[in-house]
Amino acid sequence: MASWRLGASRFLFLVGGGRSKNLRSLRNTKNTKLNITMDFPIHPPIGERVRRKETLRFVTGTGRFVDDLLPPGTLHVSFVRSSCAHARIKAIDVEAARAMPGVCAVFTGKDIAQHVKPLRVGGSSVLRPVKLYPLAVDKVRYFGEPLAVVVADNRYLAEDAVDMVAVDYEPLPVVVDPETAMEPGAPAVHEDAGSNIVYKYHFATDGIDKVFQDAEVVIKERIRSHRITACPIEPRAYLAHYNKEEDSLTMWSATANPHSLKGRIADILSFPEGKIRVIAPDVGGSFGVKIQTYQEELLLPYLSRELGRPIKWCETRVEHMRNGRHGRDQIHYIEIALKKDGTMLGIKDKIIADMGSTYTVDHSIMAAALYMTGVYQIQNYAVDAFGISTNKTTHGSLRDIGKADASYVLERLVDIVARELKLDPIDIRLKNFIPAEAFPYRNPTGALYDSGQYHLAMKRTAEMAGYDRLRKEQADLRKRGIYRGIGVALVMEPTSSSRIHATGGYASCRLRIDPSGAATVFSSMGEQGQGHETTLAQIVASQTGIPFDRITVIHGDTLPTPYGFGTGSSRSSVVLMPSAWVAGKLMRDKILGIAARQLGVVPEKLEIGDGKVFAKEDQEQSIAVMEIVRTAYGAIHLLPENMEPGLEVTGYFVNPNIDYTPDDKGRMNTFSSYPYAAVIAVVDVDVETGMIKIVKYTTVHDCGNMINPQIVDTQQQGSIMQGIGAALYEELRYDDEGQLLSSTFMDYRLPSVEEVPELALEHIITPNPFTPLGAKGAGETGMLGLPPALCNAVEDALSPLGVKVRETPLTPDRVLDLIEKAQAKSAHA
Amino acid sequence: MLKTISLTVNGKAYSGEVEPRTLLAHFLRDSLRLTGTHLGCVVGRCGACTILWNGTPVKSCMVFAVQAAGDEIVTVEGLAQDQRLHPLQEAFWKNDAVECGYCTPGMLMSAYGLLSKGKKPTEEQIKKAISGNLCRCTGYSNIVAAIKEAAVNFTK
Repeated sequence: MASWRLGASRFLFLVGGGRSKNLRSLRNTKNTKLNITMDFPIHPPIGERVRRKETLRFVTGTGRFVDDLLPPGTLHVSFVRSSCAHARIKAIDVEAARAMPGVCAVFTGKDIAQHVKPLRVGGSSVLRPVKLYPLAVDKVRYFGEPLAVVVADNRYLAEDAVDMVAVDYEPLPVVVDPETAMEPGAPAVHEDAGSNIVYKYHFATDGIDKVFQDAEVVIKERIRSHRITACPIEPRAYLAHYNKEEDSLTMWSATANPHSLKGRIADILSFPEGKIRVIAPDVGGSFGVKIQTYQEELLLPYLSRELGRPIKWCETRVEHMRNGRHGRDQIHYIEIALKKDGTMLGIKDKIIADMGSTYTVDHSIMAAALYMTGVYQIQNYAVDAFGISTNKTTHGSLRDIGKADASYVLERLVDIVARELKLDPIDIRLKNFIPAEAFPYRNPTGALYDSGQYHLAMKRTAEMAGYDRLRKEQADLRKRGIYRGIGVALVMEPTSSSRIHATGGYASCRLRIDPSGAATVFSSMGEQGQGHETTLAQIVASQTGIPFDRITVIHGDTLPTPYGFGTGSSRSSVVLMPSAWVAGKLMRDKILGIAARQLGVVPEKLEIGDGKVFAKEDQEQSIAVMEIVRTAYGAIHLLPENMEPGLEVTGYFVNPNIDYTPDDKGRMNTFSSYPYAAVIAVVDVDVETGMIKIVKYTTVHDCGNMINPQIVDTQQQGSIMQGIGAALYEELRYDDEGQLLSSTFMDYRLPSVEEVPELALEHIITPNPFTPLGAKGAGETGMLGLPPALCNAVEDALSPLGVKVRETPLTPDRVLDLIEKAQAKSAHA
Repeated sequence: MLKTISLTVNGKAYSGEVEPRTLLAHFLRDSLRLTGTHLGCVVGRCGACTILWNGTPVKSCMVFAVQAAGDEIVTVEGLAQDQRLHPLQEAFWKNDAVECGYCTPGMLMSAYGLLSKGKKPTEEQIKKAISGNLCRCTGYSNIVAAIKEAAVNFTK
């Protein structure tokens, strides 16, 4: 029976008074340019389980997603996609398609390439950026790559015509395995890149080799995270509308990154950015997959300008699996040096990341490479990371990008070590965790962890799960032939990444109180289910005293909202919410300033409440907020000297703890906050069928202060379910010819309600000292915990059989295969 | 070759011209402009397009519009009556059973089909009823809690 231990049974550790100490010690740590105070008061409704504003339209079917829009005269497109993973395009015959009823136009990659500039894609560790065109031009590099497009009166006719396009391919050798692709002489995915090794990153602390030479124990493993994708239930959808009279372009996109998309459309079309408006209306989930710019997304604006009509495309699920960004798929050759007692001394890692064909960003490589020491006090570290181009779909953002690979590999390794050294998996972790008093903590790569109480989280999880009792039960069950396993992990999630020209490190909100006294927040970031319309309003209500119900949040539309980067890396609570806090503070100061002049009381002695500003010492001395609003707009002679009329402010927040360039040893901090979760998974493995049943999943989570604990809980629950899918069911499998074998929900199985296990979730609150709200990122740590905890649990369950789990997902056939291999090995021995 | 069909949607009579191959989901969305019914996979696996067809929840991407000629359809737009939310909608809101909102209409219709049977369902029956509806955001628990709560208040 599924049940969440929430609400009344919640267990909170409130930690106060630690901030000033943290900031003091921070000033002594290297590379830090901070001199700020974050001790701001936080009032309700911040921290309350306010029900979400946006939910009303979703339960009534009145949400507006891109596919719901249908301007008059809209034409629909369908794409001709490559049936080969790697081939030269010899010829494309589109004549039959052009002659089909209802077909308006057909374009090939060559037709388009003459009229657009390619998008240059790469990242800071890229060796050679490649050019990305909206449609493949001379050759295709992955199965499903778009190479021609049909524009027709409706989607049925467009799809009919796609079938009539004949493509003549000259097949090229296909390379799908990244380790093969690295070898000299491997088929080149991008000839002009010179090699399939397209990214390289190296980092090493001094004396690392000596640490390994002198160590009492060294353990080496090869661990791979498998390829998966995000699968929001709304696939990608775009609608471009070029207005000839105004020479302007409006693009509705299911994007998590509207402002960046605007710039990219301007670039490739050589069109003035000021004449482009991108609107992300309601977006049906992203989980990273909609934050990047896609080929189809760049093509539609071109088609609309060319044909003078609105152009719409809604992706099919099969297209989404083949063309949406993929994630994970890293091979780690990792070594750890230890003392016999389990004290960790150093880690060396070689990462081989399969970036797919048109590699676009290196976040996955960097987010793994910088965090392979995880939550442990390890200062000796070396890494060589390689991003490899293969004939697979492009790799990109996916919930927990790179960090999932890092935490999975590390938490697997720690378990393997514990087994080898005959230590309890909790004890070895407790022995090596970074202690609470060491925060803010710099790991060897320079990453600066804001705060954490790993020991407390692990111990509390063990207590909740009844760990000692579980071990006893396990022993009894084994005697009865039941293979029960207990898997432990503590996963940490770097959030709010800030890279130069990529993700900014800042966000902003414009706040207006209109003459009626209602407030509007214009957010620089869009939302795809995160609940910003609610949480931003909570913050503004808290600061200004404007009732929550009279605050409207506008987001996702580049015209009214200030510039900002995409919603990803859990940055909303770390950088966007604080910007609303700043805007609220500026507005509050203005309101108090106006009141101060009228009441003859200094602002410091005033308070806002119940629609009034009043003197703290004499509440009779008061003025209605509405009176202040009327003054600001209509009686400006009553404003304090030098104060501007109106009530409109813009708040910016800059993550204060980011390094944009490395120090002389290559160290830098690129993420602003570090939430984490301790987990204990209990599983039963049926050795006859290979089925895994999650008996119970217990987790203690710390994302600092929660602006709306209800929203955090729901996100965490969803994140956990996505992790169950990643660990047990979901896999993007390619055959040797580069054909994707799992491209529908029939063969790529998302967890349903039937797979919800018994779950216990609690929170520890260790405030983030680097934001005024004390919040860290939320919503991703859930997904991080499952793959290592479940694999650790399955290996634990099957330890009597000598099974080693090094491949995932743990589908029944894989589990049976692992058992068979272990049995064959023991028979051989 | 177009065919004219007439059907009742949310208690209102509609007629329209469709190709025989037009999916009911597309007819509802594109012709009748009832866009609350969503499409997530168009192969009957995600459940976002679930509607009630003569009282039974079905995935409207798996039905041709012509098959529903003369029949009675209820979509998410038909749940609220006289500007008042249906208890299921209230319960989804209260229990935070919604994040991005894309799967929500389908979830609601599957739950509505279950509760319309008039009997208070068990947790297992609730799970079975929505087992064909995928949600990637919420992790389902709040949805199950919402349906349970609505079942207590529900009168058809």
